[in-house]
Amino acid sequence: MALVVLPAVPDVKADLLKALGTSFGRKGAPGGLPEVTAVVRDVTQDRERLAGYDRVCGFRLRDQVSATWLHVLTFPLQTHLMARRDFPFPLPGVLHVSNSMTQYRPVLVSERLDLSVRAADLAAHRRGVAFDFLAEIHSAGELVWQGSTRYLAPGAPMDGLPPVSVDERDFPVVEGTRVWRLPADLGRQYARVSKDANPIHTSTLAAKALGLPRTIIHGMWTHAAMLAALDQRLPDAFTVDVRFTKPVLLPSKVRFGQRAEDGGWWQAVTTVDGLKPFVLAHIQPLKS
Amino acid sequence: MSAPRAVIVGGNRVPFVKMGTAYAKASAQDLLTAALDGLVARYGLAGQRLGEVAGGAVLKHTRDFNLTREAVLGSALDPSTPACDLAQACATSLEAVIYLSNKIATGQIQSGIACGVDSTSDAPIVVTEQLRQTLLALNAARTLPAKLAALASIRPAHLAPQAPAVTEPRTGLSMGEHQALTTKAWGITREAQDELTVASHQALARAWSEGFFDELVTPYLGVTIDKILRPDTSMEKLAALKPVFGGPEGTMTAGNSTALTDGAAAVLVVSEEWADIHHLPKLARFVDAEVAAVDYVDGEEGLLMAPAYAVPRLLARNGLTFDDFDFIEIHEAFAATVLSHLAAWESEEFCTTKLGLTHALGAVDRAKLNVNGSSLAAGHPFAATGARMTASLAAMLKAKGPGSKGLISICAAGGQGVAAILEAV
Repeated sequence: MALVVLPAVPDVKADLLKALGTSFGRKGAPGGLPEVTAVVRDVTQDRERLAGYDRVCGFRLRDQVSATWLHVLTFPLQTHLMARRDFPFPLPGVLHVSNSMTQYRPVLVSERLDLSVRAADLAAHRRGVAFDFLAEIHSAGELVWQGSTRYLAPGAPMDGLPPVSVDERDFPVVEGTRVWRLPADLGRQYARVSKDANPIHTSTLAAKALGLPRTIIHGMWTHAAMLAALDQRLPDAFTVDVRFTKPVLLPSKVRFGQRAEDGGWWQAVTTVDGLKPFVLAHIQPLKS
Repeated sequence: MSAPRAVIVGGNRVPFVKMGTAYAKASAQDLLTAALDGLVARYGLAGQRLGEVAGGAVLKHTRDFNLTREAVLGSALDPSTPACDLAQACATSLEAVIYLSNKIATGQIQSGIACGVDSTSDAPIVVTEQLRQTLLALNAARTLPAKLAALASIRPAHLAPQAPAVTEPRTGLSMGEHQALTTKAWGITREAQDELTVASHQALARAWSEGFFDELVTPYLGVTIDKILRPDTSMEKLAALKPVFGGPEGTMTAGNSTALTDGAAAVLVVSEEWADIHHLPKLARFVDAEVAAVDYVDGEEGLLMAPAYAVPRLLARNGLTFDDFDFIEIHEAFAATVLSHLAAWESEEFCTTKLGLTHALGAVDRAKLNVNGSSLAAGHPFAATGARMTASLAAMLKAKGPGSKGLISICAAGGQGVAAILEAV
């Protein structure tokens, strides 16, 4: 696997435009995933941007950053890989279906971080082909965070691929005790602080072009808001697994609930009537 | 069985900074939660249910109606810890210490945290009264013409946001303008004010360099030390400043007045028994407190002179004089405020006519006054100052040794003053 060391965190907007402009003619699963790891070293975290991110997601402003913020730092490397000509799938239509991350210790905003992302795990999914972006963050040589973002490229499954690894656990739908009101401009607010400027979250026209009645909120906003709901009860070291089952339209009112179990937490964001889940999460402390 | 006694276990605060600087993006709730989190970490309170957390803020947004409870819910404390918001302007968190100590003394609770926060950066902005009335009318309007009529009455001038006023509602004078009247009445000189200011900065700088605040302050957002502190300030530098209160002949400057400050502080107050059970240190016992108020509205007394009444009443009730104290902590709203209090206590006339004493209360030994600096150097996030002073004094008493006594005095808007006595365990 070749290392591609980038001089700075790549520009997400430019890469998104590039990926959109080169959507046609991509080879699909038979093209295979690019055999490269994108790396940026010695990244300074932007306190101002973190303050905005914390505000939009509901985190208190602390010196310690959230695990989802660390994911946000690695996101530009994902779009960078997707914009490469050798990336097999066109960006429009690719869906973020699940996410898993491990925080090995609390990370401070003052730390300078080394980020790396690669694409892996091409697999057959019942609705198309799945792949993962595997990300790592090191601080002074120490692995502090690891993330795995699973996307689905819808379409015909390809023969000869291994079946997608499935988290066999039954995520319980926790009874929601809180109502969250998501304003119409939440996608724009989150896009500003996360740099995830995918127009499906900010432009009704773009959302309609992809068959959605309105814009949808970023899955990673919902994920962040769920972690923020635990506040200081979140352990210092943990793994969180998240399933995105249905997009949340904006504006909307959703229900949120969480339940402690075996030292960890189950969480769910559902429709207000509690019948359909949007996002399910499981947080498990790491055993020291 | 004797009544339970409240003791100060310790405190925690964030470094204080000038408004609009390092904490510009932090809300009052962010700051208060940070102060609580640090205290929880210092004393291993994570997951514990405390008797009560009491605190508040002076500049408070309506969304923060339950500020302290919300901060508890965002902290590592057991969410079943109750909380209450209370407010007494600059004396807020000292009043919170008194409130919790009294609850502990009556056996209602065993443990609590007194806290306070202010962020001038997060100050609520209010719309003009005309716009407010129009928006209420618009809300009440049921028909389109009625709504349009309401909207049409808005004038550009109505749209200017109103920053929160730091003026006294009944006099229209700012606190500095009020103090300027008192300063003049007591003949407090510019030189005396600047001397007190230099002493405060030097004392706070020394305390920081000696590591005094290692046990009392947790860094926040990359700030590790009080940012208002000017260790190198001098009489010459202060003399160069122009007066900001009291007109061109005034003696009060930006140097010898406290700066608008962002910060938060918290102090852990528990019963002696609770401290023992949880193996926590007992720095100082809460002994007694007194709140006084003066009629400042029509000029009967100076706005910030209430401590000059609270302290003598507190001393008399406890049979104490200034000589019985090892440390005397007087909040430095302005250097001139402290000097006016000291002058009043030394004045035969004030003490006999205003306090009804037979002679002057006496002088405060300057060597015992604000030994580790106070608000002029540290800054003054209004509601946090009482918790800052309580925690610092308790730590100083602990170092001094058992039986040593300390006095805290804080002036507050509305013509009020709060004084309290602590004694080392």
